[in-house]
Amino acid sequence: MEHIGLTHYLVVAAVLFCCGIFTMTTKRNAIGILIGVELVLNSTGINLVAFDRYMGPGRLDGQVVAIFLIVLAAAETALAVGICINVYKNLSTVDVDAASQLRG
Amino acid sequence: MNGHTYEILLALGVLSPFISFWLLVFIGPKLGKPLAGWFGVAFGMGVPLLLASYVLMCWLGEDAASRAMLAEHAFRYHWANLGTVPILVGVKLDSLTIAMYFMVAFIAFWIFVFSVGYMSGHSDEVDGKSKYHRFFAYLSLFAFSMLGLVLSSNLLFLFIFWELVGLCSYLLIGFYFHERVPQYAQMKAFITNRVGDFGFIIGLMLVYFQLGTLDLDDAARIFAEQYAAGTGIFASSFTMFGWSLATIMGVGLFCGAMGKSAQFPLHVWLPDAMAGPTPVSALIHAATMVAAGVYLVARVFRLMTPEALMFVAAIGCITLTLMALIAMVQTDIKKCLAYSTLSQLGYMIFGLGCGAWIAALFHLITHAFFKAMMFLGSGQVIEGCHHEQDMRKMGGLMKKMPVTGLTFLVGVLAISGFGIPGTNIGLGGFFSKDEILAVAWVRAFDWTDYSRHEAEHGEHHALAVPAIDANDGSSHGAIDGEKQIVLASDPQHGDSHAASLHGEGHTASESPRGLKSTAHGEDAHGRAGVFSRVPAMPKWMFYLALFTAYITPFYMMRCWWMTFMGKPRDEHVHDHAHESPMMFLPLVVLAVGTFVASYFLFRDLISDAATAATIAPMVLATDGHVHSLAITAAHHWLITGVGGSFVVGFVIAILIYGRGLNIAARIKGTIGIQQVHTVLENKYYIDELYHLVWVKGCMCIAHIARFIDTWVIDMTYLTLAKLTERLAAFSGLIIDTQCVDGMYNGMADTAIDIGEAVRRPQTGRIRNYVLFAAGGATVAVVLMLLYWGVASPDQSVAMLTP
Amino acid sequence: MFRSRFHTIVLAALGVVALSTASLASDAAGSGADHSGVTQAAASGGWLEVLLFYIAAAAACVSALGVCYSRNIVRMAVWLFGALGSVALLYFLLAANFIAAIQLIVYAGGTLILLVFGVMLTSKSPWARFEARKIEVFGATVVSGTLFACLSLLLTRAHWATTDSAVAGTAMSALGHSLLTTYLVPFELAGVLLMIVMVGAAHLARQDK
Repeated sequence: MEHIGLTHYLVVAAVLFCCGIFTMTTKRNAIGILIGVELVLNSTGINLVAFDRYMGPGRLDGQVVAIFLIVLAAAETALAVGICINVYKNLSTVDVDAASQLRG
Repeated sequence: MNGHTYEILLALGVLSPFISFWLLVFIGPKLGKPLAGWFGVAFGMGVPLLLASYVLMCWLGEDAASRAMLAEHAFRYHWANLGTVPILVGVKLDSLTIAMYFMVAFIAFWIFVFSVGYMSGHSDEVDGKSKYHRFFAYLSLFAFSMLGLVLSSNLLFLFIFWELVGLCSYLLIGFYFHERVPQYAQMKAFITNRVGDFGFIIGLMLVYFQLGTLDLDDAARIFAEQYAAGTGIFASSFTMFGWSLATIMGVGLFCGAMGKSAQFPLHVWLPDAMAGPTPVSALIHAATMVAAGVYLVARVFRLMTPEALMFVAAIGCITLTLMALIAMVQTDIKKCLAYSTLSQLGYMIFGLGCGAWIAALFHLITHAFFKAMMFLGSGQVIEGCHHEQDMRKMGGLMKKMPVTGLTFLVGVLAISGFGIPGTNIGLGGFFSKDEILAVAWVRAFDWTDYSRHEAEHGEHHALAVPAIDANDGSSHGAIDGEKQIVLASDPQHGDSHAASLHGEGHTASESPRGLKSTAHGEDAHGRAGVFSRVPAMPKWMFYLALFTAYITPFYMMRCWWMTFMGKPRDEHVHDHAHESPMMFLPLVVLAVGTFVASYFLFRDLISDAATAATIAPMVLATDGHVHSLAITAAHHWLITGVGGSFVVGFVIAILIYGRGLNIAARIKGTIGIQQVHTVLENKYYIDELYHLVWVKGCMCIAHIARFIDTWVIDMTYLTLAKLTERLAAFSGLIIDTQCVDGMYNGMADTAIDIGEAVRRPQTGRIRNYVLFAAGGATVAVVLMLLYWGVASPDQSVAMLTP
Repeated sequence: MFRSRFHTIVLAALGVVALSTASLASDAAGSGADHSGVTQAAASGGWLEVLLFYIAAAAACVSALGVCYSRNIVRMAVWLFGALGSVALLYFLLAANFIAAIQLIVYAGGTLILLVFGVMLTSKSPWARFEARKIEVFGATVVSGTLFACLSLLLTRAHWATTDSAVAGTAMSALGHSLLTTYLVPFELAGVLLMIVMVGAAHLARQDK
């Protein structure tokens, strides 16, 4: 059995990160994009806790920041869902490509 | 009264019209037509008159010693420093100030009252708005300025009030400024006065720099000291027209008086100033403001050298003669009075110049009363005759306006010197003008003997008697047998010198100027030295003054007769004539005032002030009390002649004008007289001369300047402009269009291209942006790998290890 | 029909695995607990930990990929739930018990529900689909693939200055203490932020007048 180290967790986080990126770029549903964001945030959380665990045990910095991250993620989701509802009210759809008035 | 009560009361009297002025400016329009006027009367002039009366009463109650003490301890406020010279604000407290102050307040008050009546019959609208309150505001400001001028103890403040008085004159002459004539008149008055003030400023500068003070008393004291020691202004070797610097100072100060008192050749503004409302003419241009010049000369008398005084006398003499001649041919009633005013002012100035200080100021005050009255009378006539000013259209107005006619007659008698020779019965000019003539006679004919006598003996008992006489001014009548000449005396020794004069020898020592000076007897010897320097007056001056004394009654009687007596020459005017009751009250009051002023109060006050106010080692004031019971034998014939002059003048006037204008017209038609008449009617063409010299001269210079401007300067600039234009066209075509514009266009095009290129990725789709960001991150990571090398873990360790 | 049932079974299995692994991990992580309140993680190289890690990691990766490849928004939400659970499991394995707990409670219990509500409120039909263009999918695949490749390369090549010797779990009390002392200001700010977000979200989602 090989030793489970920091790199393992980081690779998992990288997988989640890249999947999140992929989700964000390919899903046209606003909620889908939100889900991608959650994935990215989760990968960050893994990174934080893993670094805390392996590089600064006892300091708890990473864990505290992870708590803030979860808080922020929750807040972000709440706002984002509110925005989605607003967009839906205005455009009758949650297709983000429809909300492209800012194009150059 | 003690302490500074006098100063405080007098200053309050000055401030009251000033406050009234501001109140009228701000709340005058709200007060409305009659109320604003009455406010001005009550507050602007009533308060000063009450204060002046009270102060006069108190002052009369003081004896000579306490008056001197009050004057010496008069309050001086250190206001500021002009360089190193302190400017002290204070009240010049002496009998002359009190007399002048009362005179101004009294006359101004009644003229204010008259003004209310006058303005009720006149339009007060200018440009469609009522300027009624403005009239009384100006009058109040004038009262403030004039009273302040009289009170000033300092030449600087005197000058400030002097200018304020000039400003008021300007404003009031042009009260109806929407009309052409008042506009020109006000400008003429102002500009002419500026010419005189230029001289005044030169005089002030000399006082400031040479004497180092601007206080009147200090200046006189320093002037005397410098004269005795031969230092300061007397040490200067500078001369101009043969005048020393000290003389120039005196002449400069007198120039101011020439402007304000309208002396030849600056007299031209006063007749034109009659374009103003009649009360203004009475107040400013007859009674008070023009007297300011005389007052100034009287105040700076101590700073005048004999040469300067001679100049003053000459100017006065020329003025009084020339103006009297013009007055003979005037047909406009106000103009006639204006020229008579000029002539009388000439008498005052002449009197001051030849040393008749007391007589001149006495004449000033009596003249103020009766001339104000006559002007008000003329206003009444003009008002009654439907704004007709031409005397040829009047006549026979006596029945229609008896009060005006009679009071006017009082004025005519007063100005003509009516009186019974050899007695003490007379009016105004009988005392004052004839006294001036007597002094002039002494200066012209009896002077050589006198001064030689003085110089030889060194001390002169004749001096002593009148010197005592001057010190108790009222007892002069009891002394006879001597020439009654009062010499100015030194302030410190004012009382003691009379005694010392009686003494015999003095241990004299020679001063640098050849003047004997001793500890005690300085005055007598000093004056003796001065006396020997004062030349006798040219005889023509006396003759001219005497001659004019005969003309004055003629033109005044002519004026009165043409207006009030004879048959009416214009029915329309005559029918319309009426008297306004409110307007003749001031006339009566002033007529009574003329009587009172001729006998009481003022003469004593002025001779009381004379001793202190004419002190200077080289200055004298001869004062012949010719109407006293003790007339000298030498003066008898003169007084008979002069005293009877009015009879001659009256008789001739009545002979000529008694039966209408026919005789006058016939005389006028005579060859020789006709030409003279034309010259006189045109006022010696002085206005034309001034127009030619100054106006045309200025125009000529302006034309030359314009020529240069057009053909030299403008051409140069036009050429330069053309060149610049060409250059600009060239640079615009080549440089601007091709280079600069090209550059900026290129930059703009590039910006547009870049924008177009960059616009493409801006799809507006959030997913694409995420992709770009992720792509960017990927590129960054790839670059990191390429930079550190894929197969070089050690380096990355070094890099990533915290 | 079959496909949806299969997915349901897989998901249910994953859920069971996740929950059981979580309890195991918790046990493994908490086996060395002592009285000081600092829990010692499982001994490095312990087979259980390795096994649990691979299970959790695989679950997380599979769930994430599931999110990527689902076309239905509801399914994506379900796969996300799996991913969140797996991540919670990983937190347990990292001896961060409290974080793992709130990951489950807040994320899986709150955020995900919120998302589902969002889905329900914003779609005319929950099954509505918007497909990305092929070129976009290709671009996204290239970018995320390259990124993953490079990152893995970077991560595996890097030598981390880890302190394995002092592997330590954390007591909640220490975390709370740290939160209320060192991180007091961010903590309070987070509270303020949450309130702002609450107000803001209510405002954004309010009914138009």
